[in-house]
Amino acid sequence: MAGVRVLVSGMGGELGSRVASLLEDEPWVGSLEGIDIDPPRRRLRRTVFHRIVPGQHDRTVDTVTKFDPHIVVHIAVWEPHARAGTETARSLNDDAVTSILGAAAECRALESIVVRSGIEVYGRARGSVTRPSEVEPRNPTSDYGRMLAEIERTARAIGRRVGVSVDKLRLATVLGPHVPSALGRVLRMPAVPFSAVANPPFAVIHQHDAAEAFVRAAKMRLDEPLNIVAPGAITAYQAIRRGHRLPVPLVGPEWFVARGLTYLAGAPIPDHVMEMFHRGRLADNTRAREVLGFSPATTTSDVIDQLYRWPTVIHQPASADWEAVAS
Amino acid sequence: MSTARRIADVITLPARTVGSQTATVASGAASQVRVWTANEVDDWGRDNGFVDRFWAASRLRWDTCVGGTEHVPKRTGALIVVNARRFALAPVFSALAIGAAVDRPVRFVGRPDIAPLGPLMQRLGALLAIEGELEGALRAGELVVLGANHELGNHRTGQIDHRLVGAAVAAKVRVLPAATLSVPTRRSARVEIGPPARLTRKRRGPLEELELADHLQVRINALLDELGGATTGTPLDWLPFNGLGGI
Repeated sequence: MAGVRVLVSGMGGELGSRVASLLEDEPWVGSLEGIDIDPPRRRLRRTVFHRIVPGQHDRTVDTVTKFDPHIVVHIAVWEPHARAGTETARSLNDDAVTSILGAAAECRALESIVVRSGIEVYGRARGSVTRPSEVEPRNPTSDYGRMLAEIERTARAIGRRVGVSVDKLRLATVLGPHVPSALGRVLRMPAVPFSAVANPPFAVIHQHDAAEAFVRAAKMRLDEPLNIVAPGAITAYQAIRRGHRLPVPLVGPEWFVARGLTYLAGAPIPDHVMEMFHRGRLADNTRAREVLGFSPATTTSDVIDQLYRWPTVIHQPASADWEAVAS
Repeated sequence: MSTARRIADVITLPARTVGSQTATVASGAASQVRVWTANEVDDWGRDNGFVDRFWAASRLRWDTCVGGTEHVPKRTGALIVVNARRFALAPVFSALAIGAAVDRPVRFVGRPDIAPLGPLMQRLGALLAIEGELEGALRAGELVVLGANHELGNHRTGQIDHRLVGAAVAAKVRVLPAATLSVPTRRSARVEIGPPARLTRKRRGPLEELELADHLQVRINALLDELGGATTGTPLDWLPFNGLGGI
C-alpha cells in the first residue's frame, strides 16, 4: 500500500489542516490534495490546495475527477454558530457533501470514503441510552444532529452506489487551540450559565486526537461508524469551576434571556449545545479502540483545562520604534 | 478628631458583628460547596467523591455486611442480581456496599430519565433500565447491580426482568445472584453474593435469558433461605413459626 492519492475536503479548518499535516508524514500517502473555502492554517509541504466555495459544483467536479483520489476524507462540516449561523451551516453542509462526495463517486480509482460526523446523531431524547455505542440507532434531536445524519445518509448512499467503503467518524465536540466552537466560546465567557437541576456530564475530543483518528481510519479503510470520544467526562459546572468562571445556575425559562445575552456577547448557544447542557452528551468509544487501535491521548478534563489556558487576544499599541523604522 | 468619631471607632455595633459572622458562615458554606462539587465524573457520569460522601452518610442508616465477595470478578464486568424489598432501596445500598467491599465502582440499574433525580442518581452510578445501556456498561467491564421486582418482605424475591438479564448474556459476563436482607426498623443489613449462575442446558435463542432469569430467582430464594428467612426487626422474629427460630 503506497502511492495512495488522498483528497481532504475542509482542509482550511484547523482539523483539516492537522489531518493534512499528519497525512503528509504517512509513507503510504503518495499525493495529497485539499479543498476548502479558506486556505490551510499551517505550512504543508507536499499538499496541493484548491480554494473552492462549496456551491461551485463544476469546479469541484473538475478538480476532484482530475485528481482521481483513492481515498476521500470529508471533513468539510460546519457546526452551527461555530463559523456560520444555523441556516448558513445547513446550506454549506448540503453543498459540500453533495458536490465533493458526488464528484468523488465519478472517480474510477475511489476505494474508500471517511466522513466526519458527530455523536449528536444519536440524539438525547427521553429514554435514549446515556452512552450510546455505534449500534444504537440514529435519532437526532438537534439541528446539528440532523445535519450530520443527512451527511451520513448521503455518504452511505454514494458508497453503496459505487461500491466503496464508508467510514463515519462520530466525533464528540472538537475543542482545541483555534478551533471555532460554540461550546468553547460559551465556556470561555466570564459568566457561564448552566442547568442547576440537571448539570449532566458530557465528553469532548481534542483536535489532535480527532485528526489522528481520521488518519488511522483513512489508512484502514473501514466500512462502519466509530465514536471518537476522549476518555472521561465533565459536567458544565465542573468545567466552569476549572476555568474559574462565574457559574450562573438556571432552572428553566430564564434560559431564553441567557441565550439572548450570550448571543449579544458573541457566544450564541445553538440548540445542540443547549441540549448538551440539559441532557448531557456521552458516547462509548470502545469500538474505536478495538478497531483503530486508537485511544485519545487527552482526557476530557485536560481538553477543558487547555480550553481555559488559551491566551486571549491582547491588542498592543503600535510602538514609536516601528514608526521610526518606517520613515 | 471629634469625640463621637473616636467612640465610633471603638464601638462595634451588634449588627456589624452579626453581619461579619454571617459572612464568615456563608463563605465557609460556599467553600465547602466548592470542595464538594470539585470532583470529576467518570465515563458514565459517576462522581466518586459524591459516592464516598453518600456512602458515609448512608452508614447512619445502614450498617451493611457483605459476604461472598470472592465470587465478584477482580477486573471484568459482572451483573449482580439482588432481591428488593419495597422502599428498601436494595439496589442502591447493595451497589454502595459491594463497591466498598471490593474497592471497585459498582453501578446499579434504575434511574429515572428526568431532572433533578435522574442526574443526581447518575452521580451515584445509576444506569437507565435499558438493555443497550446495561450491555454497554457490562462490555466496558463494569460491575452492575440489578434489582428484581419489589416484594413486600425479604422472604421471597420478585420477578427478574429477563430482557435486562439478556444484556449480560449478550455481553458474555458472569451473572451473580445476591440476597439482600434489611428491615425498616434496624440498621443492620446484609448482602450475600452467591457463585455465578450457570445453566445446565445451552440455548441458542432468547430462551437462555428467560431460563437464566428464572434460575436466578431460584438461586436468590435459596440464598435468602440460607440467611435464615425474613426478619422484621421486632420480637416476632423470636417466635418459632417455621420451626427454625424465625419466621
